Amino acid sequence: MASLTHYIVLSSILFGLGTIGFCTRRNALILFMSIELMLNAVNLMLVAFSNFMGDMAGQVMVLFIFAVAAAEVAVGLAILIALFRHVREVDITRFNVLKW
Amino acid sequence: MDLYFWVFASMSVLAGLFTIAAKDALPSAMGLLTVFIALAALYLHLHAPLIAIFQVAIYAGAILILVVFVIMLLMAPGERLAAIQANVSYRGFGALLGLCLIGLVVVGIKGVSDIVSMKALPEGFGAPSMFGDLFFRDFLLHFEVVSVLLLVALIGGIYLCKKKL
Repeated sequence: MASLTHYIVLSSILFGLGTIGFCTRRNALILFMSIELMLNAVNLMLVAFSNFMGDMAGQVMVLFIFAVAAAEVAVGLAILIALFRHVREVDITRFNVLKW
Repeated sequence: MDLYFWVFASMSVLAGLFTIAAKDALPSAMGLLTVFIALAALYLHLHAPLIAIFQVAIYAGAILILVVFVIMLLMAPGERLAAIQANVSYRGFGALLGLCLIGLVVVGIKGVSDIVSMKALPEGFGAPSMFGDLFFRDFLLHFEVVSVLLLVALIGGIYLCKKKL
């Protein structure tokens, strides 16, 4: 039986992978997917703690995170499409209108 | 050795690596799909069958389809499918930051797992009926707030996608 530590380490690795992807890629769509990876790592941690503590509130929290992730993706992709109409580009370094 | 855990854990880590390392956005999305499926399998192992179903239906079904749809919309074939990578110094810095974060989280939370002892799970733990009971009684207000959030996101998404903003 995998212990809680196994799940903590797995979740941390996934979260770290998401962070690395977010810091190193410039394609806005891949940045989105990196954020999704981080959200999923947090979900895994919540479900693991919920299981090992015998408390189902963690699972309910995961469902709320699903809803927030859906809202985030809907608005984020809409912003991306609106940006793309202006710049014709998904490389985030070209989105420099607000850059000082 | 828990074979089930190791199979799906390694699968999710490898697919996660593929997600952030793939050259194009579409293979990256397929890597993310694999992560979602592997995590759904792990949820089943953690007595969360309902979350596993939602993971497949909402994440792999709805969210990823939306992402793939936008990839297809924005990145027409032959247009700009070349790799878009940050320069080397940023890449090194980002990788270092991520690795430090992994270490920090592991060290920080590992102590917690000693305190949390494996409790005997109550009868029917993880069953959808128990989930619904908790969800619509203790978390009813949160549920209503989230429905408003989704409505706002819906309106915002439609507004942002208008031709003339």
